[in-house]
Amino acid sequence: MFQTVTISLLQGFGETLKLFLLTLVFALPLGLFISFGSMSRFRPLKLLVRFIVWVVRGTPLMLQLIIIYYGPGIFLGRNLWGSNDEGRFLAALAAFSVNYACYFSEIYRGGIQSIPLGQYEAGYVLGMTKGQIFREIVLLQVIKRIVPPMSNEIITLVKDTSLARVIAVYEIIWNGQSFIKSAGIIWPLFYTGVFYLAFSGLLSVLFTGIEKKLSYFRC
Amino acid sequence: MDGAERKKDHGELKKMSAENTKENNIALEVTGISKAFGSTVVLKNVDFSLKKGEAISIIGSSGSGKTTLLRCLNFLETPDTGIIKVNGKVLLDASEMKSLSDEEIRKRRLHFGMVFQQFNLFPQYTALENVMLAPVLVDKKNKHDARSRAVELLSVMGLSDKTDRYPHELSGGQQQRVAIARALAMDPDILCFDEPTSALDPELTGEVLSVIRDLSSRHTTMIIVTHEMSFARDVSHQVLFMDSGIILERGTPDEVFGNPKEERTKAFLGSIDS
Repeated sequence: MFQTVTISLLQGFGETLKLFLLTLVFALPLGLFISFGSMSRFRPLKLLVRFIVWVVRGTPLMLQLIIIYYGPGIFLGRNLWGSNDEGRFLAALAAFSVNYACYFSEIYRGGIQSIPLGQYEAGYVLGMTKGQIFREIVLLQVIKRIVPPMSNEIITLVKDTSLARVIAVYEIIWNGQSFIKSAGIIWPLFYTGVFYLAFSGLLSVLFTGIEKKLSYFRC
Repeated sequence: MDGAERKKDHGELKKMSAENTKENNIALEVTGISKAFGSTVVLKNVDFSLKKGEAISIIGSSGSGKTTLLRCLNFLETPDTGIIKVNGKVLLDASEMKSLSDEEIRKRRLHFGMVFQQFNLFPQYTALENVMLAPVLVDKKNKHDARSRAVELLSVMGLSDKTDRYPHELSGGQQQRVAIARALAMDPDILCFDEPTSALDPELTGEVLSVIRDLSSRHTTMIIVTHEMSFARDVSHQVLFMDSGIILERGTPDEVFGNPKEERTKAFLGSIDS
C-alpha cells in the first residue's frame, strides 16, 4: 500500500511541480513589466496597473481560480479553457501567473526604488545610457536586495499550488485525498506534507546559496 | 612632488594666469543661469568664468545654490535660463534644452567630471572596475587599455594596493579617491567636486584634499564646492561666495578671505572655523 500511495503522490507532485515551475516562468518576467507600469510617469497607466495589483492582491487566490476557470463560460457563454484536464491546468496556470506576477511586481518595485538616486547620477555623469545604468549598475543591486523577499514568496507558491484542486487539477493533495474515498485511509493526505517539506527545504538551500554568492558586495 | 615644489608651481600658475587674461584660454563661461524649483528660486542670474588650468572654489552656507549650480553644469538639473560655454563653444543654452536628444546630452555632459559628496561608487565592482566601467561602456575602449589607464589613475590616487577591493572594504577617504579616479578616466575638461570631504570623518579629509591639491598643481581645471575654507584659500585661483542663489562676492582667495566687502560674507566666514 505504501508503495502504491507513494507512486500516486509522486505523480501528483509532478503536476504540482509543473504548475510551480511554469508559474515562475510566466510570473517572474510579467511581474517586471507590471512593476514598470506601476512606476510609470504616465499617470493613467500607473493608476490602472496599481488598481489591478490592488484587486489581485486583495482577493483570495482560490476565488481568482474559480473566476478565471468558470468566468468565461458564464459571462461570455463559451468555456475558454475546454473541459478536459489540460484546460483546467491552463486556467490554473493563468490564475497563478497573474496572481504571483502582482506580488512579484511589488517586490521588484520596492527593490528598484530602494536603489539610491546617486547610483543613477553617477552613471549619468559618466555618460551612460539609461539602459546601461539599469543593466550594469542597478540590476545586480536590485537582485541582491530582493532575494530574501522573493525566496519567501516562491516558497509560499510551492504550497499555494494546492489551491488548484478547487478546479480539479490533479496535484498532490488531490491524489492524497482520493485515498480517503477509494481505500478509507487518511494517512496519504498527511504524507503529502513530506513532499512539500522536502521541496521547500531544497529551495531554502538554493536561495541561501544565491544570497551567499551575492555577499561579496554590500549595498 | 613635495609640498614646497607644489607651492612654487602653484604660485607660478597664479602669476601666469594673471598675465594671460585673453579669450582662448577660457575653459568655462557661465552666463545668466537661473533655476527655480516650483516657487523656490535657487539660482538667480549667475555668471562666472574659469580659465584652463585654474581651480575655482564656491563657498557659502547650505541652500545657497552651490550644489544646484554644479548639477546644472553636469546636466543633472536643467537651468531655466542661461548659457554655458566650454572652450568657447556653447554647450548648454537653456532655451534650446528641450530639443536636445538624450544622446547629445550624454555627449555634452562628458565635458564635465563629477565627484559627489557621497562618492556613489558602484558597490558590486572593485575599485579598478569602477574606474574602467565607463571607458569600456561609453568610450568603447578595449578592456586592456581601460585597465592599464585605470591602474595608472589609481596609483596617482595612492591606491595601487587597493585596486581589487570592493567599495565596502575601503575607508571613506579611499572611496572618494576612487571616485576621483573614476571621474578622471573619462578625461573631462573640467572636474567638479560637490563637497568632496563633507561625508568624511575629520581624520580622512586630509588624504582627499591632498589629491585635489595635487590635481591643481597639475593644472587640472576644477570647480570645488567646499566648506574647507583654508583648503579653498590655499588651492583656488578664484573664490565665489554664494548667498541665496546669487554670487554675492568674488575675487582671489586673498580678497575674499582676507578682505571681504559684504556683510554676509564676513558673517559667513566668521561663523566658520578656518
